[in-house]
Amino acid sequence: MIAALRMVFSNPKYLVLSVAIFSLMMVGLLILSEYIFLEPYLVSHLPSGTEFGFVLIVILSALSALVLPMNVFRISILKRSSQKVSGGIFGSIVGAAAGACSCGPIGFAVISTFGSVGATTTAFLTNYELPIRIVAIGILAITYFTTVRSLKTECKLDFKR
Amino acid sequence: MNKTGIFVGIIVIAVVVGTATAMSMMSSETLNIETGRTHGTVSTEMGSPILGDPSAPITIVEFGDYQCHQCYNWFHNTRPAIFDEYIDTGKANLVFVDLAFLGRDSPVAAQATYCAEDQQMYWEYHDILYNSQESQIDGGWASSERLKAFAFNLGLDTELFDSCLDSGKYSKRVQYNSEQARNHGVRGTPGFILVGTDDQKQLGGAQPFTVFKQILDTLA
Repeated sequence: MIAALRMVFSNPKYLVLSVAIFSLMMVGLLILSEYIFLEPYLVSHLPSGTEFGFVLIVILSALSALVLPMNVFRISILKRSSQKVSGGIFGSIVGAAAGACSCGPIGFAVISTFGSVGATTTAFLTNYELPIRIVAIGILAITYFTTVRSLKTECKLDFKR
Repeated sequence: MNKTGIFVGIIVIAVVVGTATAMSMMSSETLNIETGRTHGTVSTEMGSPILGDPSAPITIVEFGDYQCHQCYNWFHNTRPAIFDEYIDTGKANLVFVDLAFLGRDSPVAAQATYCAEDQQMYWEYHDILYNSQESQIDGGWASSERLKAFAFNLGLDTELFDSCLDSGKYSKRVQYNSEQARNHGVRGTPGFILVGTDDQKQLGGAQPFTVFKQILDTLA
């Protein structure tokens, strides 16, 4: 597992990509879930009772930052199929969508634009925010382990050739 | 000629009926408006009673939804400190204006608070809603039956309360409040307009007390 990570992230390009994904997802989700406010000035806030949600955001961002660059590596260096990267992207998007609390500006805009359909969607995302994030983490974890396994296999096969 | 006469007659009747309907709707809306109370640019006439000293130099106008989780967070994490430092000391007062948009139970819960106001228990009912909020939007915790049960628990006259809630007496009041929020560019709940003597500032989200303190101190 460590060998696979070392192989991918020894290339600075993938390290930069990983840091960028982690930062963007983490900051974006923290803003959406109102752990960070940009106005009237930058302030972070962890209300009591929301600690678990915060931890899930950190895990989700970290897993996305691992899985997506590894799959980009598989596609661009090893020229393998893009099937696994879609699992990573799907997990990241599902996890991020769950953070779009219906109380916040995004939820309000969705409900104002799409009416009852928007209200039902945002209510679902809010009601099941934590379970959806856990499922997304599960998808990313499975994608991570299958990617590591296939990197080991594919690299061995390539080496033998 | 006869056909033209019938056609003109139908148009005249339609115009008369339409005008009468519009006037009756306007008059029923006008009846609900209290005294034209405003705070800064916000019309709070249809909002909650003022909590705290009405002559306080600062008014915190909160736009909220009873099913909103962030409103719950603000109610439990930030509001107590604002109460201790600003409202209990007479430096500020608070008005709640409904932005009931999250689910089908949201407007009904907002209407229920005004039915409680009829019995001088608006803020007690407001507090019971934010103390009883559950995680599921439209999950039943703010259903009509539960709202009536809250009124019973508070010792309200349940017959009066139930008939008020069932009649939809305050539905237009809640709609009016939501329009006020939209007209002032409130894009989520909780949203705040902090009104001082010469200035007003807008703030979005369940922000921590330190942010409120900094703004309130500049408005004082």
